[in-house]
Amino acid sequence: MSSFYIRWGVLLLVTSMIAFLGFQRYQRDVASLTPDQLLENPTPDKTRVMGIIQGGTLTREHDSNRAYFLLQGENKTLPVRYEGHDTDTLRDLKVIVVTGHINSVTAEFDGESVSLIPNYGFVTVAYLLGILPTLFFLFLMERKLRLLYTEVKEAKLYEPEAIDFDKE
Amino acid sequence: MHKLIKWMRRLEGWFGLAAGIFLIVGLYMALVTSPPDYYQGEVVRIMYIHVPFAQTSLLAYLVLFIGSLWYLWKKDPVVDNLNHAAAGVGAFFTIGELLTGSIWGKPAWNTWWTWDARLTSALVLLLILMAYLMLRMFMDDHVKEARYAAIVAIIGFVDLPIVYFSVEWWRTIHQPLSVSQRGLAISQEILIPLIVMTIGFYLLFTYMVMVRTRMLYLGHLLEAKKGRLLSQAHL
Repeated sequence: MSSFYIRWGVLLLVTSMIAFLGFQRYQRDVASLTPDQLLENPTPDKTRVMGIIQGGTLTREHDSNRAYFLLQGENKTLPVRYEGHDTDTLRDLKVIVVTGHINSVTAEFDGESVSLIPNYGFVTVAYLLGILPTLFFLFLMERKLRLLYTEVKEAKLYEPEAIDFDKE
Repeated sequence: MHKLIKWMRRLEGWFGLAAGIFLIVGLYMALVTSPPDYYQGEVVRIMYIHVPFAQTSLLAYLVLFIGSLWYLWKKDPVVDNLNHAAAGVGAFFTIGELLTGSIWGKPAWNTWWTWDARLTSALVLLLILMAYLMLRMFMDDHVKEARYAAIVAIIGFVDLPIVYFSVEWWRTIHQPLSVSQRGLAISQEILIPLIVMTIGFYLLFTYMVMVRTRMLYLGHLLEAKKGRLLSQAHL
């Protein structure tokens, strides 16, 4: 049985590593701040901010791919000066994630790219509900197989007619 | 020992190893390297687990159907064990398909469930498999049980083309086939991780069926041995 547990230990380790890589990717590319959080602790680093485009504040310059709007959080609003692709996807009252830097001079957010809501919670639940029961089901089956194999082998010892049959 | 069991014992480890490699690479591609969808964003990643679950549940039923015909022709009890194993594993994958599909449905369609043709026919497939497993659970005579179960599986096969082609036959909320005679409806960046995950799931299914078949075979063998010991004790 020891090789069985070693194999499962390795599998668990590899799965944990993938989970860790997935979590790292989430932190790096998906996790975002709210406008309130960013305004309370402004950072010069590249940041992702998620909020709602406040109605009536969106102005666009189609020729230069520039836009200006207020990103609404729970209590505060963040002025965003956006320059990049997909300005057409910007709409009033739409929830978006803007990636960029906060400008320390103008106190505005210089956005470089926009994306949709990450919804990573759904992805995580789907993967956990898919992978964990599969591993558990497989573990139980393999364990049962090993136990049955041992039981069948031991049961043979108590069959005098089978031993006689082998001698013949 | 039965030839099929010997063959399974020899190959099962290789299938398990190959499944592990494909799934690890596939999960890495699905969660880390593949891009988010233009419309759905990150939620599209659920597809890499939902579609393989769905494909594997169809494969499981196909194996069960062919195995049932084979059993009725040859009356081989190990083939019956294989069918029983495929049904159990198939039911598991169908539940996985319905659960992950429901989780994907909420952000994509804004509903956990709808009585769409694909979803309903997939649920019917699960009910057929459950009926098959229940029939096997509550019958005492093994020979009758195997024969009736094979007949149920053959009749239930009618649902398989309905599940597969439902998205083509009825225009409903579910998206049509991504790979069809019309060509490819998804980009290569999404298709490659999807293929890797699907191959991984097929290999995993094969491995699980092998393990479960051997498990059922040994269970019956032990039952037979215990039966013999009991009869000796009574003598």
